[in-house]
Amino acid sequence: MIRRLAGGERNLTSLAGPLRMTFPAASKHVRVLERAELVTRRVSGREHLCRLRATPLGEATRWTEQFRAHWEERFRALDAVLEDLKAAEPGPRGGRRGASGSRG
Amino acid sequence: MSTTGLQVSTPTDTTIVMTREFRAPRRMVWDAMTRPDLMRRWLFSPPGWAMTRCEGDVRVGGKYRWEWSDGENDPALSIHGEYTEVRPPERLVHTETMEMSRCGPCGTLVAALDLTETGGVTRMRMTLTFDSREARDGALKSGMEHGMEAGYRTLDAQLAARG
Repeated sequence: MIRRLAGGERNLTSLAGPLRMTFPAASKHVRVLERAELVTRRVSGREHLCRLRATPLGEATRWTEQFRAHWEERFRALDAVLEDLKAAEPGPRGGRRGASGSRG
Repeated sequence: MSTTGLQVSTPTDTTIVMTREFRAPRRMVWDAMTRPDLMRRWLFSPPGWAMTRCEGDVRVGGKYRWEWSDGENDPALSIHGEYTEVRPPERLVHTETMEMSRCGPCGTLVAALDLTETGGVTRMRMTLTFDSREARDGALKSGMEHGMEAGYRTLDAQLAARG
């Protein structure tokens, strides 16, 4: 998706099609990229127009940005794992129900 | 959310430093980053790939191995190494050798994880040190080549599960 956006501003439909995504799926992915501050979206009539943030990125900076976005995705998944661990251990001194216990 | 998202910097020619905050005590972050059953849930792979092996012996001198299959080659990618410093829940250092079925060994690096906790928020600092600038740049580029779309299927599944 980033590679497609590198060619300039595109609407969501033209982003979704070649990636074989549905419109809502593409919209979700754009939302992730927006949160990662890689992409901005504006709505014009019925069109959602997306573009890479207007930062004059050098090639190295672009690699770093993509690397960051990739790892941020993983760490968001890690956030979810941590929420589960916290839920399994309700009190500050809990842990009886949790799988994490005091190992480590 | 008041926690800070991931920041990536390249302070020297051979390093990548990642910092991020997590809203959880650091012993939980430590667990999530060292227990294979928890690692499998976030250390996910490119679309169409599956993590087929995730095992590790988290003590000094202990080995670990993570493998992914791309459906044709198993493993298509393997990352393995040895733990060289283990101080739960604050510091973990391991060597890392990545091998791909297509191109063989892709070099080694040293990964140092430091966790500090303030008021229930854990701050992570992960320092990756490579043998050369070329190796470091290669790792950054790999994020672009196949990393960008990585995990989207997992993400989709998670979003769908949330409704």
